[in-house]
Amino acid sequence: MTRTMAVLLLAAVPACTRAPSDNPTLTAVDGILVGHHTLAERPTGCTVILADGVVVAGVSQRGSAPGTRDTDPLEPVNGADRVDAVVLSGGSAFGLDVANGVMRWIDEGHGPWALRPTDVPIVPAAVLIDLWVGGKPSIRPAADCGYRAAGAASRAPVAEGTVGAGAGATVGKLTGLDRAMKGGIGSAAVALPGGLRVAALAAVNALGDVIDPASGTVVAGARADDGSLRDVRKLLRTGAPLQRTRVAENTTLAVVATNAHLTKAEANRVALMADAGIARAVTPAHTTADGDTVFALATGRWSGRADTNEIGALAADVLAAAIVRAVKQATTVAGIPAARDIK
Amino acid sequence: MGIKAVFVAALATITVSVLVAQPFRAAESNATLTAVPGIKVGHFTLSERPTGCTVILVDGDAVGGVSQQGGAPGTRETDLLNPLNMVDKVNAIVLAGGSAFGLEAATGTVRWLEEHNIGWPAGASRVPIVPAAILFDLGVGGNPKVRPTADCGYKAAAAATTAPVPEGTVGAGAGATVGKFGGPGRSMKAGIGSASIVLPSGLIVAAIVAVNAVGDIIDPATGKVVAGVRNPDGTLADARKILRDGGTRQTPRAGENTTIGVVATNAKLSKSLAARMALMADDGYARAISPSHTNGDGDTIFSLATGQWDGNADITVIGALAAEVVADAIVRAATQATGVAGIPAARDLRK
Repeated sequence: MTRTMAVLLLAAVPACTRAPSDNPTLTAVDGILVGHHTLAERPTGCTVILADGVVVAGVSQRGSAPGTRDTDPLEPVNGADRVDAVVLSGGSAFGLDVANGVMRWIDEGHGPWALRPTDVPIVPAAVLIDLWVGGKPSIRPAADCGYRAAGAASRAPVAEGTVGAGAGATVGKLTGLDRAMKGGIGSAAVALPGGLRVAALAAVNALGDVIDPASGTVVAGARADDGSLRDVRKLLRTGAPLQRTRVAENTTLAVVATNAHLTKAEANRVALMADAGIARAVTPAHTTADGDTVFALATGRWSGRADTNEIGALAADVLAAAIVRAVKQATTVAGIPAARDIK
Repeated sequence: MGIKAVFVAALATITVSVLVAQPFRAAESNATLTAVPGIKVGHFTLSERPTGCTVILVDGDAVGGVSQQGGAPGTRETDLLNPLNMVDKVNAIVLAGGSAFGLEAATGTVRWLEEHNIGWPAGASRVPIVPAAILFDLGVGGNPKVRPTADCGYKAAAAATTAPVPEGTVGAGAGATVGKFGGPGRSMKAGIGSASIVLPSGLIVAAIVAVNAVGDIIDPATGKVVAGVRNPDGTLADARKILRDGGTRQTPRAGENTTIGVVATNAKLSKSLAARMALMADDGYARAISPSHTNGDGDTIFSLATGQWDGNADITVIGALAAEVVADAIVRAATQATGVAGIPAARDLRK
């Protein structure tokens, strides 16, 4: 639906604007490169978002069970005025190791930008928890994953579904892991006639169900005995017994990006507003068993002016769309069915 | 009026005793915030201009929390609700119109509580703990010098009962409007709304929200706009479409907006979990308001846990239900409002 809307919208875009109809993903934003690396031994992996140029960042960390690194520098009162990359990874807190590989890759001078010898790469990271999926929980993304994902990063449309940080992601776990469905990674973008672009990438591993906010219907989530979707909103309202929620199985991670220029405080407001996209597309969201975290990146490549509220509102919109795409593009792994398989 | 209030209070007391035995019927008779035993609500609406205040009184102790996500807040005693800080009991919460001037309403509620010897023990005295949040309605219906004062907070506290909460253009919602992303003259009237959920186990979660958002009100069950920016012909424009089209819009200003509310449960929560409940309840704002949490909104939601129910419920369930009732209350704030000062309400569009 959202993709269709974006295409319809872009039909009206003047020819001078590069329409993201050929790239409705995060890399539609100038200055953003994305690379995945998916492990072969178990469904897990990492996704690296590289920042080409001076990219200002903010964060909204609202889930109760986060695994993060270098989010404190993004506080407006703290010093870092740019980031070099953002890492999203599977593997629980072990997956934070991925950022080491990205730092090494940047430090070796492979990036699309020139580093001075004394520069320290700023690489915030957040992890999701997929250790239970597909056996062998000792298999998790390590520094090598980050190094390879950074090396694979490009401006091409971002691959979606069961890949990178979304490889082991699942959703709909409120009635037990045996009733879960496959999550994944999804992306969406919007381009306005004036040249403003706002895009999102989401790795969706939520405890809750995924809802399409445009219709209020469940796209993927907890299943009944016959395999149909139960709708946890109804279950919650009737007081039906739920599985005890556990920390070790959830978390939705996202990056929203814009080509607008934002201050660090504005980037944090955009991250906060974008977080509404998680609230709209995931029910329940921000639980004690989710480490939900949203990063916002502003590349400043577009010289036009846009209001922070407009960018934040569009960021929430594209983030919700990216979450819906994550489950629609996912494919079944390890016996956990994807939305496309239950229709 | 006095006799009527006593009668309503007595009726509500009967309702509460019925509730203990048969939770579902009680929910039907009081689908508002006062479905939570120990919570009383009183409105006071000014006659000079559409504005007012709403006081939520806690009969006994309640643990409080807050989620403050909007960019233009006006608040009082929210730092106290930080789980790192000491005081973990709340006596009342005040929601008021009148912009930052309206924070004065809490002064009157504090006075009323002191007169009733209610407050945090501090040596020989008791200090009433009254967090408050305000919304910005100075531009609605005439003289902006008219705003809720201490008198409003005192009268609303005195009027508080356990009866079902009146909704619509009343109390803190009297001057509330929505749909301001399209500029002046295209907004709609909203107000204050309330909703509750009662589970067979006895767990109750309920909300009251005064809705004065920049954004449109969306029914999350259908994705449809309930009230918001109007087209020149008076039909709903849908702010989400305006944004995606890059169409005409107005930069939200910090003098016109803000959604404020309270979500309450009869469950027992620690102060940290009350804060988590408020944070999750905030998702109701995100779902029922688009855009939400802008720089021109001071969006704030308080949580209260009375602990009068001795059952066990996971915070995930309580927080998820909190988000649900908050979204329900927001939709009701729009559907129950009546037009004032030439600003039409959702019910006027349906005619």
